[in-house]
Amino acid sequence: MMEVRALAKAFSGVKAIDEFSLQVHADEYLTLLGPSGSGKSTLLRLLAGLEKPDSGSIWLNGVDITTQPTHMRNLGFVQQKYALFPHLNVIDNVAFGLRHRELDPVTDPARVEKRVADILELVGLTDLGGRMVGQLSGGQKQRVSLARTLVTEPKVCLLDEPLGALDANLRERMTVELQKIRRALGVTFMHVTGNEAEAIAMGDRMIVLDRGRLLQVDPPDTIFTVPATIDVARYINAYNILSGTLSDGRFTSSNGAFPVVGDVPELGYYAVRYDAAHVLAPGEMVPDGSASMSARFIASEFMGSQIIYIFRRIDGGTFEVVRHLSREDPASYERDQQCTICWHAADALLFDVKGRLVMDNSMRGAA
Amino acid sequence: MSAVEPADSAGHAADRSGFMQKYGHFLLLAPGVIWMILFLVVPLLMMLYVSFWTQSTFSISPDLTVKSWVTFFSSETYFGALLRTLRIWLTVLVLTFVIGYPAALFIGQHVRNKTVQTILLVACVIPFWTSFLIRVLAWRPMLGKEGAINIVLQKFGLISQPIEVLLFTELSVIIGMVQIYVVFMVGPIAFMLARIDDSLIEAARDLGASSWRIFRKVIFPLSLPGVVVGAIFVSVMVLGEFATASALSGRKVNLLGNIIVTQVGSLKWAFAAVIGVVLTFVMAVVIIGLLRVVNLRREL
Repeated sequence: MMEVRALAKAFSGVKAIDEFSLQVHADEYLTLLGPSGSGKSTLLRLLAGLEKPDSGSIWLNGVDITTQPTHMRNLGFVQQKYALFPHLNVIDNVAFGLRHRELDPVTDPARVEKRVADILELVGLTDLGGRMVGQLSGGQKQRVSLARTLVTEPKVCLLDEPLGALDANLRERMTVELQKIRRALGVTFMHVTGNEAEAIAMGDRMIVLDRGRLLQVDPPDTIFTVPATIDVARYINAYNILSGTLSDGRFTSSNGAFPVVGDVPELGYYAVRYDAAHVLAPGEMVPDGSASMSARFIASEFMGSQIIYIFRRIDGGTFEVVRHLSREDPASYERDQQCTICWHAADALLFDVKGRLVMDNSMRGAA
Repeated sequence: MSAVEPADSAGHAADRSGFMQKYGHFLLLAPGVIWMILFLVVPLLMMLYVSFWTQSTFSISPDLTVKSWVTFFSSETYFGALLRTLRIWLTVLVLTFVIGYPAALFIGQHVRNKTVQTILLVACVIPFWTSFLIRVLAWRPMLGKEGAINIVLQKFGLISQPIEVLLFTELSVIIGMVQIYVVFMVGPIAFMLARIDDSLIEAARDLGASSWRIFRKVIFPLSLPGVVVGAIFVSVMVLGEFATASALSGRKVNLLGNIIVTQVGSLKWAFAAVIGVVLTFVMAVVIIGLLRVVNLRREL
């Protein structure tokens, strides 16, 4: 439906978006994960027409809209700071697009009223229509901002860190709400976020962006279990990443040498999912087909259903082990206690020197 | 007995701090209130009182009469001055808005660099580095029969005879006033415009509104408090004006302010007081009217 071809944009010589291409489907929830400064806001602004690309093109339903001005594109852009009109009340804010748009404005007041009432009901703000913007809470402003964009029936709704300014509780509720609203309207959402949990939980498909380049587009579970590059593995915050080289058929680093499953020509990185490793009990032997390393215990974090043990590696980095408490009781270690951590060699993900995934072991299961 | 005593003194202390808490803010208010009463309210009441005194050629006596008031409203000269003052005020107000708003729009919206904005606003104030009288009198060699404008127009062959209405007419008074007061319109409007968040304009554009719609429905309403503040500044100053009028009209255009100056000069205190009361009343009405346009307390 929407297609982005080799889009590029630089600000004073620094590339913000670099040869970005993407196919956006109809009726999907697309999340875009990127660390701050990765160009994710720039990408949205380019799509919305608020910035002009240096090269590349944007197509909407087969029409090139690259040079079309913002107000002719019919793409909704929900800004991070809501950008509600402070001189208007909730109803007039939401009705703004219908009344004042250049293309096909709704002139019949009764129809405007009906559509505004419908969308306010959908976002759960029916009673607040007469309020001024200054009298709303953060979550309510978020909903008004969303309603104001959705009422214009955009072809794609771009959301710039929509949950960024909300507190944790509200964030969780809005996560469910956003998906419900999207499904009710059948609009494609493109949701930009710096939070990997949000991107994984909400997206039908997920994009990982780094320094203006697209690293991977896949369903979140694929990205989580089979990250295409070491950077993707880093951003989803679920892998211990070790760097080293391949020698004698083993991955060798300052933390030790680990057996490698399969035949690979070279290695640069080695990733172990937090929940794929476990700590050996005293006297327990390293099972066959497993890799192990020794590390110093730093701290543990009890999360209710799971517990995170944090270790100091020999090379100074940290190594996290997540254990689900439905399967075992939490263990307690002394600070600075030397422990042996081990994992199935087949569970580790292998990456070459350039950071590309070279072997796919995910199907064997990590838990 | 000894058990009661500490409780009693504690209660006393609580009373004292309670007194400060209850009435402390009046103490903070007192200097301002006393100042305003002594130097604003009392003089205003005095002026109202004096306007009913009896004026004879060389003296004034506190016998109450409405003679001065009757003279003011029945005389064509004086009542005409009131109408002229209102006419010139309205003309100057409209012109300062028409000229000032685009300038403010340029400074507040099109110049996105804060430093450049400040430089431009300071540039607006540069004329104020010369004295008021010089600024006004400088218009004479500009507008005169053999002044700069006429010379240039004649040199280019655009006119054969010098334009005489340029100086010593109502027009020259209006030109002078607009030049002097337009900056008081530009400042507050530019300030309000510069405060409008870019994201609001982007949101409006994204919702499909054209630039003109965005100006009418977002930018202008949000700058309205600045327009009202600017209009109050200009109104108060123009309504009380006398110097520009006398310097650029050759004493042909008499505003209420000019009449007060002449009446006070010839010691006609009662009559000067009448005009003073009228002028104060007009200003009060204008300010109240302007404040009705926008709820400044909410907007600023």
